[in-house]
Amino acid sequence: MPKTIFEWDYSDYPGAKTYPHLFKPIQIGNLIIPNRIKYTATEENLNGLDGFVTDQGAAYLAQRAKGVVGGLCFMQGVYMDEARMGQGYVGQAAAWDDKFVPGLKRLADAIHDALAVAGIQLMDCGRVGAVDVEYGHGPSAVPQRLRIFRPMKEMTKDEIKAMIQQHVDAAKRGVEAGFDIMEISGIVGYLVSNFVSSYTNRRTDEYGGDIRGRMQAVIEIIQGVKAVIPEDMPLGIRLCAEELLDDVRGNTAEESMESYKIAEEAGVDYISCTLGWQESIYPVISRDIPMGNWIHLAKRAKEHVKVPISMAYRLFKPELPNEKIGAGELDIWEMCRPMIADPLMPKKVLEGKEEEIRHCVACNLCLARLFRDAPMTCYINPICAHEANAEFADPQPAEEEKEIMIVGAGPAGLECAYLAARRGHEVHVYDKRAEIGGTLNEARHAPYGDDELWTCVEYQKVMCEKAGVNFHLGTEVTEELIEEEMPDSVVLATGPIYPGLAVPGGDSDKIVYLADVMSGKADVGKKVVVWGNRKPGIGCALHLAKQGKKVTLVGKDKTAGFDVNPSFKWRYYIYMRQNGIVAYNDCVIEEISDAGIVVKTYDGYRWPINCDTIVLAQREPNESLKKAVQSEGIELFVVGDALIPRNLSSAVHDGYRIGMRI
Amino acid sequence: MPVDAEKEITRLYKALHSAQDEIGKTYYRWRKVALEFAGDNVKPLDVALRAAEVFGKDIGKSFLPRMNWLKGEEGFMMILGKALAGLWITDGGLATAEKGENPGEIFIKCTRDPWPTWAKEFGVSMEEVALCRERMYQSVLEDVSMFMNIPLKIELEKAISRGQGETVMRLYKTE
Ligand SMILES: Cc1cc2nc3c(=O)[nH]c(=O)nc-3n(C[C@H](O)[C@H](O)[C@H](O)COP(=O)(O)O)c2cc1C
Ligand code: SF4
Repeated sequence: MPKTIFEWDYSDYPGAKTYPHLFKPIQIGNLIIPNRIKYTATEENLNGLDGFVTDQGAAYLAQRAKGVVGGLCFMQGVYMDEARMGQGYVGQAAAWDDKFVPGLKRLADAIHDALAVAGIQLMDCGRVGAVDVEYGHGPSAVPQRLRIFRPMKEMTKDEIKAMIQQHVDAAKRGVEAGFDIMEISGIVGYLVSNFVSSYTNRRTDEYGGDIRGRMQAVIEIIQGVKAVIPEDMPLGIRLCAEELLDDVRGNTAEESMESYKIAEEAGVDYISCTLGWQESIYPVISRDIPMGNWIHLAKRAKEHVKVPISMAYRLFKPELPNEKIGAGELDIWEMCRPMIADPLMPKKVLEGKEEEIRHCVACNLCLARLFRDAPMTCYINPICAHEANAEFADPQPAEEEKEIMIVGAGPAGLECAYLAARRGHEVHVYDKRAEIGGTLNEARHAPYGDDELWTCVEYQKVMCEKAGVNFHLGTEVTEELIEEEMPDSVVLATGPIYPGLAVPGGDSDKIVYLADVMSGKADVGKKVVVWGNRKPGIGCALHLAKQGKKVTLVGKDKTAGFDVNPSFKWRYYIYMRQNGIVAYNDCVIEEISDAGIVVKTYDGYRWPINCDTIVLAQREPNESLKKAVQSEGIELFVVGDALIPRNLSSAVHDGYRIGMRI
Repeated sequence: MPVDAEKEITRLYKALHSAQDEIGKTYYRWRKVALEFAGDNVKPLDVALRAAEVFGKDIGKSFLPRMNWLKGEEGFMMILGKALAGLWITDGGLATAEKGENPGEIFIKCTRDPWPTWAKEFGVSMEEVALCRERMYQSVLEDVSMFMNIPLKIELEKAISRGQGETVMRLYKTE
């Protein structure tokens, strides 16, 4: 008889009717999982530097456990060697000794408290490891493509045997800690994938050679772990269906499917279908890749093996996984970033509250932070990684109820508005525009997935409505209005200003504003200079280049996209190149003439650029109304780009922080 | 103020060449320091070759992100050859990569090189200049060979005399 850990009945929930395939049980090995939802293992750098679980880590996971509504909730991958060669992140949880069991048990308990199925993942980071030691280990010492990773040492046979034993020992600790399901991580360049890939495994002994030889270490891990875990504890593995390493002679798709079959033969009970490596030159999960782009790989996997197939990778909405599960092309819907951004995402789907989901915008800031040894942060979710901090996670009603005037219905103002209203304040949001969303109304027209940024405003709108925020759209706030209303507090969320160019020819009629260009109101010529080399300028340059215009980006920052996180910035550089956009960084516009502009570098070189249009995308803080508010003695807060022009994330985080304190 | 193109380009050109000149000379100044520290029992050529190895190793790492097999062996060898020629150009030389007669064979040719002139100023032999470039490129290829799992070699075929003639290096796959 297969084991059931917690009984769940979804029949009364609206989401179970809309998405029937997501909320039906599945048997994995000898365990029944009540639904098809899995929160995938996620490093968050919240553990101690010594690998012990912390309150922050436990609180983070507890929230995600609530979100899976009885499904699978995995803790992050643990490293298993005392020498720490397998440790890829400074705050990665460890399982190389029994002393870690109590901490791991805390996580299993937290998942069980939410009546969800608790999963532990074994993850030696291999090539991506050795975060705090001199060398990484792997099947062969193939030099690193990316400099941020350590040089590699080839493992001896004894070291391979020891590594396999470490997996077995860690598995025993996982069992002792009370987990229900176990997984081996073989994704994105971690040790298991290093053995499997022809790119990184050049061995000629029994652990190398053809795909079977390259799978030998994996087979021994699977069999070793299987031997020490209970019969009703399923074992899964995450393996690449496509490595996307053709440029460095990695595995073919056929070899990858062969690795699936070998893992199945060796005894795994399910396979999580993954793709891409840290070292791949192709993007996999950033916003420029459409949702659902990779789902065909799950179908391919199912054609090769009989065990259940789970998959994540840009499956941010329930429709597609529901459809694919119904069609027998997928078994389990995995999510990582959708549940970083909104831990309760699948719960909201089940409860029929999809409009309340805060959607991930696939910016990859969360990843970028990990690789810079920082605790995880989410671009769009200010509570992420602060779950243990009640001030963030559960802001209390305000001690004194205030009447709050928020000037600006962009993301910063809206975020502040709903939270302040939820805490008992009377909140009035004003905007001179007739619609909410601020500058995002235009920014979302930039190509390569920026329309997804709008989900932030959609979420905030619903939150504001629920919290009873009062809107005064199409109303410009003036000194007189402030005097008339005399609110207790004013939050200026007015967005940035786009100053003109104080140079000869600065009054030229070639000059147009960013917002007018992005909304299609401005007449833009064939040759365009965009002034301002941060994200708004880049978005505008790409938008125009896509219309066939010849675009030059000029800006003061040393590199373009200073405000874009490194895990996304490289995408923009490629797209700029592909679209023929030339960027002159560390430069100013010195002069505007009939023919175009003169650019001047920081060290004084000058040259002309012909253009018909100059777009102002360089932003400055917005000082307007500040004095008026202060002179009335009203409490004042400034948030978002009005304070310092940054990005959507800063707007949301600023808004939230003021909303919880005001 | 209209841009005086001739003036701007001349300024840039002068700045580039004096920067290259300074970099070349700085290398030889450091070489002197290294020899002083190394003492009399060490051959200057050994020190210079070791330095070339260290440079090459580090430069090799920066080649790896760009290595790409998608254009097959011929394409890969040409990209690599161009990268090596490009390195010489950055160093002030005038270099090109040309396809050889044998499959995958590339010749890197430099027709003008400021390094022998700088070397002369510091009393260093031309032979050392040529051997160092060869060693540096060999060292660049070490990581590239390991990374792509292709045994690559580069050899000096002909060395330039002081600023005249042509230096030729042959890049090829050993298997
Ligand atoms: C911040 C972060 C941490 C991750 N940590 C792990 C991990 O510990 N183990 C693992 O197998 N995958 C890890 N992944 C990969 C995810 O589990 C997932 O496969 C990937 O993000 C694609 O899914 P998504 O589009 O739903 O985010 C991580 C991903 C992110 C963004
Ligand atoms: S940081 Fe960006 S990619 Fe990561 S979960 Fe948040 S919104 Fe998504």
